Amino acid sequence: VKCRVCRGPAVIDLPRHNANFCAEHFVAHCQEQVQRAIAHFGMLRAGDRVLVAVSGGKDSLALWDVLSCLGYRAEGLYLGLGIGEYSEGSGDHVRRFAAERDLVLHVHDLRDEHGFDVPTAAKATNRVPCSACGLSKRHLFDKVALDGGFDALATGHNLDDEAAVLFGNTLRWNVSYLGRQLPVLPARAGFPRKVKPLVRLAERETAAYCVVRGIDYQVEECPMAAGNRHLGYKDALNRVEATSPGAKAAFYFEFLDKAAHLFAEGVHEEQANLAPCGVCGGPSAGEVCAFCRLADKASAAQPVTLGTGRPR
Amino acid sequence: VPGPLRVHVLLAQLEVHPDTVLVIRGDTLVPHDALLADDDHVEIRPVISGGHA
Repeated sequence: VKCRVCRGPAVIDLPRHNANFCAEHFVAHCQEQVQRAIAHFGMLRAGDRVLVAVSGGKDSLALWDVLSCLGYRAEGLYLGLGIGEYSEGSGDHVRRFAAERDLVLHVHDLRDEHGFDVPTAAKATNRVPCSACGLSKRHLFDKVALDGGFDALATGHNLDDEAAVLFGNTLRWNVSYLGRQLPVLPARAGFPRKVKPLVRLAERETAAYCVVRGIDYQVEECPMAAGNRHLGYKDALNRVEATSPGAKAAFYFEFLDKAAHLFAEGVHEEQANLAPCGVCGGPSAGEVCAFCRLADKASAAQPVTLGTGRPR
Repeated sequence: VPGPLRVHVLLAQLEVHPDTVLVIRGDTLVPHDALLADDDHVEIRPVISGGHA
């Protein structure tokens, strides 16, 4: 197959776009898709100082690379989650990426700063690991972005992530989450502006972008995510996509265009009821926020050790 | 797997959905219609990540 732009040998075919690209024009395609998302949804302004939440995986490192290439002042934030060798490897990938490109990286650690890690939190609270992990990341990413005075917090959610989350929320008609599932959430009291500039890229595209750009990312999947519901939704959507290229993009973007606003009212009511947490001062629906309650319980529990990772 | 054969045929034989992987020969991506020689070594790298609350 030949590149759609230059007719040279293609390295990737994208059925959703009915297009093939050589390495050079595939990079340009990815960066253009991010620019289009940023412009269409009003995510960022030229010269914004952006905090990019990086895990060491393909999406977040691709995002950091693209935003830097596009001229944003993009600094990285890595949060150590204490998931054994997986976390050690992911931290190494992030530090190496930042050092090789002379980018600013902020490093925080759940156990060092809050006295617990994700495996311990999951066991102590009897929650699935992804729940404790997501709660911790949301809370601490917001805090670091606000404390650091960043214009926005950017995360590497891609099209497949957003379509899968939408699928799950729709299956259960979780109207509260549906109202918040937007590619940009404006800043408000206690929250930074949050943006998802990769929503126009599928995860095969972000992985391919890393390979073409020579970005050494953590290929191994988080051991705690295996078999979770989200992966099942992705599998279901990929089966649909196989016979109907573009179905995932239509599902997500048509939702944004035609339905997301229908769920906004409930979100506004929820937001109006938030008050400062009695422990950390962050926004909370109760006296003490969900993160501080999690930290209180998990930090008192016996630490869980995974595999042969660094002993805690 | 005996070659020569096209990447998409290889993935079909392995029952792997093309959207869920990259096929890499050396350090170069190969598209789905590329012809793989009998002595080619390729990495079939999963791209699906999970872990959402």
